[in-house]
Amino acid sequence: MTTLFINEEEVTVSSGTSILEACRTHGADVPYFCYHPELSVAANCRMCLVEVEGWGKPAASCCTPVGEGMRVTTHSESLSKDREMIMEYLLINHPLDCPVCDQGGECKLQDYAVEHGPDHGRYKEIKRAVVDHNLGPFVSTCMTRCIHCTRCVRFADEIAGTGDMGVLNRSDHMRIEGVVEDALASELSGNLADICPVGALLDKPSHDVSRPWEVKRHKSTCTQCPQGCDIVIESRGDEVIRIKPDHDMGESWICDRGRYVHDSFRSDARILTPSIRTDSGMQVVTWDAAVEKTVNLLKDKRVGIVFSPDWSIEGLTSIRLLHDRIFKDAKVAFDLHRRDMRPFAFEEGFGMTPENIVAADEVVILGSDLRQRLPILMQGLRKRSFSDKPVTRIGAMNYRTNSELTHDALIRPREWGAVIARAMQQLKDLGKTAAGMDAWLLAVPERHEAGKLLADALLADSCALLVGEEIRSHADAAALIHGLDLIARASGHGEEGRDARNLIPEGMNASLLSAVFGDIRTSVSDLFDAAHDGELDALLLIGSDPLGDGLFSMQAKRAMGKVPLVQVGAVAGDVSEYADVMLPASAYSEVDGTFINMSGNVRNADEPLSTLGEGRPLWKVMMRLIQGFDVDVPAVDVREIRTLVQGYLPSLAVLWSDCVDDTWHMPVARQKDAIFLPTGIEPVMALDVISRYSMYREGAWVRASKSLTEAGHIRALDDVLLHPNTLQAAGLKPGACLVRTASGDFTFDVGVRDDVVEGVLFIAKRGIAGDLSCEVMASLGGGQ
Amino acid sequence: MQLIKHAFKTWMLWELVKGLALTMRYFFKPKITVEYPEERTPLSPRFRGLHALRRYDSGEERCIACKLCEVVCPALAIVIESEEREDGSRRTTRYDIDMTKCIYCGLCQEACPVDAIVETQHFEYASETREALYYTKDMLLDVGDRYESQIAANIEADAKYH
Repeated sequence: MTTLFINEEEVTVSSGTSILEACRTHGADVPYFCYHPELSVAANCRMCLVEVEGWGKPAASCCTPVGEGMRVTTHSESLSKDREMIMEYLLINHPLDCPVCDQGGECKLQDYAVEHGPDHGRYKEIKRAVVDHNLGPFVSTCMTRCIHCTRCVRFADEIAGTGDMGVLNRSDHMRIEGVVEDALASELSGNLADICPVGALLDKPSHDVSRPWEVKRHKSTCTQCPQGCDIVIESRGDEVIRIKPDHDMGESWICDRGRYVHDSFRSDARILTPSIRTDSGMQVVTWDAAVEKTVNLLKDKRVGIVFSPDWSIEGLTSIRLLHDRIFKDAKVAFDLHRRDMRPFAFEEGFGMTPENIVAADEVVILGSDLRQRLPILMQGLRKRSFSDKPVTRIGAMNYRTNSELTHDALIRPREWGAVIARAMQQLKDLGKTAAGMDAWLLAVPERHEAGKLLADALLADSCALLVGEEIRSHADAAALIHGLDLIARASGHGEEGRDARNLIPEGMNASLLSAVFGDIRTSVSDLFDAAHDGELDALLLIGSDPLGDGLFSMQAKRAMGKVPLVQVGAVAGDVSEYADVMLPASAYSEVDGTFINMSGNVRNADEPLSTLGEGRPLWKVMMRLIQGFDVDVPAVDVREIRTLVQGYLPSLAVLWSDCVDDTWHMPVARQKDAIFLPTGIEPVMALDVISRYSMYREGAWVRASKSLTEAGHIRALDDVLLHPNTLQAAGLKPGACLVRTASGDFTFDVGVRDDVVEGVLFIAKRGIAGDLSCEVMASLGGGQ
Repeated sequence: MQLIKHAFKTWMLWELVKGLALTMRYFFKPKITVEYPEERTPLSPRFRGLHALRRYDSGEERCIACKLCEVVCPALAIVIESEEREDGSRRTTRYDIDMTKCIYCGLCQEACPVDAIVETQHFEYASETREALYYTKDMLLDVGDRYESQIAANIEADAKYH
């Protein structure tokens, strides 16, 4: 620790802290532009000058470490003069177009110009102008306003890891350049607009729409991925202008998916009024009429319920209440990516906090495009490379990451068993065993060398296994997860505190869902097959869009139109075309609700926007339906719903009491009796099928968003991708090819890419190719 | 003596004479009454009457949708919505002034960085309905077009005091 004096006040900070950081933590105001707590120090704006007693010249406080007994002055006459000169210098080429600049009103340059700048400019010569760049659908530029703090360059290098911003030339000719083709490559690009201290980089979707003083800020929770970031929704009247990370809650960055999805909140795709299908199309009706029609369609029928996991806890509980009160025998499904419905040894959810994962000695990503799935967690893993901590990845596709991977093993999905068996064998040879290992090992004859990476990682003191969609969606997932559970426990990573088992869930509230719906859930494909085969009489879709999302769009498509469909939701997806009744429910930005993220932490959203149209929170819609069936309504306000949740999950009692703090988290379900041995799926066809998860396409909200759809088009791939060798071995060329599957033959545009493992058919899920996702295997039938 | 003086004044109706003298004085004095609307008083260049949105000589509207007038307006009479126009410039899509709320303080004019919103010397726009007092962007631009020469002259006249 170092003790120094800031403005005659004695402060103690840890050694190596910069003077600026010491001043910031102790409330001494030092102006700065280029410094950012999350970025490296560039010290090029010279605004943070302070005086240190005994030093001849003022010091740039951001890059000067504190020294014992240092006497720092942050305000003096001579410093004011220095700052005035620096401001005058920075403003030489700045256009002073604050009235048309979106940053105006929340601009550091503007604030400091008032506080520290001169009252008039002396520069009468011609100001320079700089050409703007097209950085894609999210960030707009006005480079003439740039003051060359290089925050964006450091962000692109250090945080995003894409390095697509750079500096050209020097002095008066200095320019910030975006090295981009169509758009910034980063999935965090929206943060550029936040970190730019002036109006050079701006938010494109909200460009020229509002001023900072007009917006109202609502703290909320993002439900676009299981991470559940704390966000601030900025709204003006009914309109959502921007979504930003909640800096007060410690969020530094949010991903583009969570940030730019807001244009769908007010898009035409919203379901605003109850409506029923008539001969002439959908017709707006009253709530009473719509509920009556719903009751007619569903009463005493065999019903299938498919819902989205992203509703609030209150909403999800009300679905369970509806099931228990009205549709006791209904089939219920919510996970659009899970093929294997046997219980998992460790259920969806994280045993570790994101901070512990980032800090662990070893991290292994098993079959996941983590950058698209959980961009913020991947950003955390990227930080590991700065401290030389390893990140290992095993999977069927060389997904582009923004971080260097220490080890990267490419395997085919059918080899997962062999990989785990190889790791298990190694642990067993080292004397680390768990009950059941022998039987598991016996069931898998093959060994795959990638397993060595897995075993080596597990031998470390702390390790994090991030089990992704390739395993979760595997046809033999329960056995693979049991195998992973065995090796984690054998290596001592099964105990509380050293738990390494993290299964990346489909969406929010994973641990709650497996607890509340664990006993009644079925597979989505079974449910739709049942509807197709006439075993169900009606479908109730609550916020889920199985035609657009997930693996089972083909089954969903077959079932649509066969049975009456009631859709409850906030946003219409592809299924709305088939809906006989549509009931509006409030969006996640419009409810007073509670969510649980992947690590089991509670996320509150209690400053909702006003609901558009006639939408009601989901729990109210569900209660209205229960009432429609002439059954006593179990809850009439949100507190009663919260009491009822505790009936299913007594541990949640603490959630809404005053004593809940940030450390409370809901543990992930562990099922010791979920013992399954790999059966070895008969490799009847040559190719394994895996499908892409695109953050710009997955989810009805995202597809309703214009800006995200545009980004999705920019990042679109061919329908189906293969390794060049795979295609060559089949004697085919890229282009239209016949793909044979168990459910029929299809013709697709096949592209080649080195990133795909040989023997794997990668579905990029554009257009019709999404229908193939339900297949586990396929073969090539020849070109056309 | 006092008594005699008082009696004399009382009997001679002296107060009446005095009052009538004043009346007669005003009767023959030149009149200051203005025969409105045939005659008008002169107005200061700073007179704050009906609002107008101005254009540049090229016909381009001045307003850049900075919304400073909207935020400075103490009566919350101004409502602005903006978007980026096709050529990339920031423009209003809506600029409404509710004249029934406006208190004619002139702060909008003072806040405007491009002299787009001004208060003209025109004050005769009373109407029989409230609706006619809700001025939209087109109406305000139209006022600006009609009074541009007058507005420009007023700003010119006042410029030396800034």
